[in-house]
Amino acid sequence: MTETSRVRVSIVGVVVLALFGALFTRLWYLQAAGGTSLAAAANENRVRVVTEPAPRGRILDANGAVLVDNRVSDVVTVDRTLEPKEREQVVDRLALVLGMSVDDIDARLDDARVSPYTPVPVAVDVAPETLVFIGEHNADFPGVSVDRRSVRQYLSDTPAAHLLGYTGEISEDELASQRVGDYELGDQIGKAGVEQSYERDLRGTPGKERLEIDAQDEVVRSLGSTKPVPGHDVQLTVDLNVQTVAEAALAEGMALARDTRNRAVDEKFETFNAPAGSAVVLDARTGSVVAMASNPTYDPNQFVDGIPTALFDAYQTPESHDPLLNRAIQGQYAPGSVFKLVTTLAALTTGQINPGTVVNDQGCIDLEVEGGVFCNAGKAQNGYVDLREALTVSSDVYFYELGRAYWQQSRRGEPNGDAIQEEARALGFGAPTGIPLSGEADGRVPDEAFKVDFNADNPDPKSKAENSVWLPGDNIQLAVGQGDLLVTPIQLASAYQTLANGGTVFTPRLASQVLDADGTVTREIAPITKATVALPPGARDALLDGLRGAVRSDGGTASSVFQGFDFDAVDVAGKTGTAEVNGKHDTSVFVAITPPDPAPGQPQYVIAVMVEEGGFGAETAAPIVRRVIEGLYGLPVAPIVMAASTVED
Amino acid sequence: MARVMPASVVLSDRRARLMATPLRHLDVVLIGATLALAGLGLVMVYSATQARTEQEGLSSLYYVGRQAVWVVLGLIVMTVVMAIDYRKLRDLAPFGYLGMVFLLGVVLIPGIGTAAKGSQARFQLGAFQLQPSEFAKFFLILMLAAFCAAHREHFGLRRVVTAVVIAGLPLALVLLQPDLGTALVLGAIAFAILTVAGTKGRYLAILALLVATGAVGAVRLGVLEQYQVDRLTVFIDQGDSGSGRDSQGSAYNLDQSKTAIANGGLTGTGLRQGTQTNLGFVPEQHTDFIFTAVGEELGFVGGATLLALFALVVWRTWRTARLANDFFATLACMGVIGMFAFQVFENVGMTMGIMPITGIPLPFMSYGGSSTIVSFACVGLVANIHMRRFS
Repeated sequence: MTETSRVRVSIVGVVVLALFGALFTRLWYLQAAGGTSLAAAANENRVRVVTEPAPRGRILDANGAVLVDNRVSDVVTVDRTLEPKEREQVVDRLALVLGMSVDDIDARLDDARVSPYTPVPVAVDVAPETLVFIGEHNADFPGVSVDRRSVRQYLSDTPAAHLLGYTGEISEDELASQRVGDYELGDQIGKAGVEQSYERDLRGTPGKERLEIDAQDEVVRSLGSTKPVPGHDVQLTVDLNVQTVAEAALAEGMALARDTRNRAVDEKFETFNAPAGSAVVLDARTGSVVAMASNPTYDPNQFVDGIPTALFDAYQTPESHDPLLNRAIQGQYAPGSVFKLVTTLAALTTGQINPGTVVNDQGCIDLEVEGGVFCNAGKAQNGYVDLREALTVSSDVYFYELGRAYWQQSRRGEPNGDAIQEEARALGFGAPTGIPLSGEADGRVPDEAFKVDFNADNPDPKSKAENSVWLPGDNIQLAVGQGDLLVTPIQLASAYQTLANGGTVFTPRLASQVLDADGTVTREIAPITKATVALPPGARDALLDGLRGAVRSDGGTASSVFQGFDFDAVDVAGKTGTAEVNGKHDTSVFVAITPPDPAPGQPQYVIAVMVEEGGFGAETAAPIVRRVIEGLYGLPVAPIVMAASTVED
Repeated sequence: MARVMPASVVLSDRRARLMATPLRHLDVVLIGATLALAGLGLVMVYSATQARTEQEGLSSLYYVGRQAVWVVLGLIVMTVVMAIDYRKLRDLAPFGYLGMVFLLGVVLIPGIGTAAKGSQARFQLGAFQLQPSEFAKFFLILMLAAFCAAHREHFGLRRVVTAVVIAGLPLALVLLQPDLGTALVLGAIAFAILTVAGTKGRYLAILALLVATGAVGAVRLGVLEQYQVDRLTVFIDQGDSGSGRDSQGSAYNLDQSKTAIANGGLTGTGLRQGTQTNLGFVPEQHTDFIFTAVGEELGFVGGATLLALFALVVWRTWRTARLANDFFATLACMGVIGMFAFQVFENVGMTMGIMPITGIPLPFMSYGGSSTIVSFACVGLVANIHMRRFS
């Protein structure tokens, strides 16, 4: 061999050595150094997990009546592994038989959320004759089978729709948030109400089967499975009977209001709009929700197979008045005179007045400095009134004076200048009550800080400066529950509950216990005391006296509503509220405590009703409350009558 | 052979005896490594096909049984090649070469040759198939080494061009099938021989350029089927995650292949335990992608051992090339090195994503008769040269 040849043989040797070196290095990288993600991919390749949903727990009322159950629904499913040509034929035929469009069926078949190893449901609640037809012609429907699935069943007249909520397929967002546990696309999850709040209890644990599959996506064998564990039942504090009465009374009262002339409009005949309202019944000893109604409402049964698009669109129109909104916790209103509870407690606590303090009510007060004049409804002159009388006849002037007095104290830098706001916050206004339902509104307790904040973005410095000042008129409005004050019906009921029970502020309780499938209690849900408010001596009696008078005595704002009511059987105290809303009819508000002084062991209820554009408190809200009280105590139900001689306010 | 040592008659006698019996110079390391590879090949073909045979309703020994027949045939061919003095083989080379070119031409005629997997490359002989392009490797080595050795004194441009034509003829016919992989192997053989034959550096450079142009041309002019082009190009755009891409077709092939190898880890899942292997995720696993079964089931230890065995074969061949006592022998060994090294690098490289996917079998390992027999023939040629290096 020549020297050149020798060198070249060596060169070839070096090249070959380099090639082998490259292979070794790559092999090391794949298998020993960086192969973990690919190795995991091998397992993902081979194992598919098919889940079997667990039956969801039921929702029961306080007496054990079933509010939400599961029912079996006939479902038509299609095997996804059909040949494209065969699938096309089957989909065409199914579209004809099921009365669906080909596109709809295709969309469901191509739904990536359903595991490719389970047949896809294309139609739910299929008519029996259709099932028979498919069964008889099964040769024409390869891959099509009929399955029975468990779906959510709400009572047919759907009481407490807002409270109970509904379930639906988990969304991408819910899946992404780590708030929820072990979910997969396509799983059902509580979307609103109790279904959402008690999801952990209701859901149960889905069964899982691990399947080994090959490259052709065919199942080779099962690698083991776990059985689904049914969800637990949740027993609510809600009483189905009271709930039903409250909803019926609310709907009936609102319907009646829409047929009743609004006498606040002089120049023409106009009935109340009364488009929406809500009612809350609380058990004042425990802070438990006995009933919660919101109107207009919806039928959660329609959401079982996903909210139909047409229905969802209809719920977005202004004419529908947001039926999905739970106004009992999400509606925010100026409360009107019912807020005098707060002003009174503030005044008694700070010693501004005592129960015997008398004011000469001349119908109006004149603020010389600002030039504003504030009057009673209809400028009624009540003469000399004490606290009890002021509450009974709803003398605004009595409370205007208090609002003005506190404003002056705040200007002088005295400590009690914010007494009304502080009392309001102590009673739970201005913040969510913490009821276990999502979307609860804050409400608003206005003060100077609020005005500054509200005008922070005002581009005009002069207007910004003027509007950022807390004026005497603001405090005077606040004292009678007007102005920028906003409360939710649940906050209102909760505040009156604190008066009724002698000072305890509860976090509203919705459920009392959780039971497993055998009926064994697995979890007790105790009442939650959030705070206690020290009621000044004599304050409770004086307030309840005044509120009794509003219902019972001549001249009481709601006495005409309670004509003929058997007070010997059931004692009632109550307060009307009429809140002015710019450009709309007044908000009709009524809160009742029954009985005001219960015997030991006797239940005590607080009922709050607010009806948007329902006029005076006694016109729409109070008759609804009376009806609820009759329902609560099993009294003979008097037909709702719009009181003709209602005392204004 | 006048290396007589008068000083010691005894020694001289032994020496003479040694030289007279070439079998005494048998390269046991080369033969041993080859047998080990063939044995491992049988094990892996069995392991990679046992799930598949179950599905196809065949005996689990169907593939491994046929492969065993070919290994036996290969051993017989190897023995025959070793038995004939390589210089005789050299002299017969032109006849073998011309016969091979004839067959490569005939196989292209539809009706005579059989088309399978997109190329017209095989003769159907009863239950077996003959792939002339595989045999072309062996005869090209002999022919090209013979030609270059004969003209080593004046290896100028004219000779180089002639040598290129000798290599180019079968290469072009193979490309027409079309079988890019085998064409590349033929190119590698030619390049290795021409390099050592003394071709001037610039000619080699031009040649390399021509090959590159030819390859690009083949892709561009549509000589190759679209799927072949896809397989070539998919490795350029690969992630190591094995997901997030259209895991279909060629990309799927590569993803699953890499996943299988990675799944093996250091020591592998054990024979017949590879999930990628048993569940059929890797296409062509008992043929071109047999290395993935090794990688998954025997892990890094098995894969590295396999590579080491190939390295051993190549090293013994390279050593023989240096020890050989004539230039034809050296060149023939270089041709064998070019063939083995390229096939191993390309085949194993493609399963790990560092080379484009082309249909090249892994010598001794991949299921397939022609490839196995020719690989044995090449080892036989090297062993032949090794044991006759003193005669």
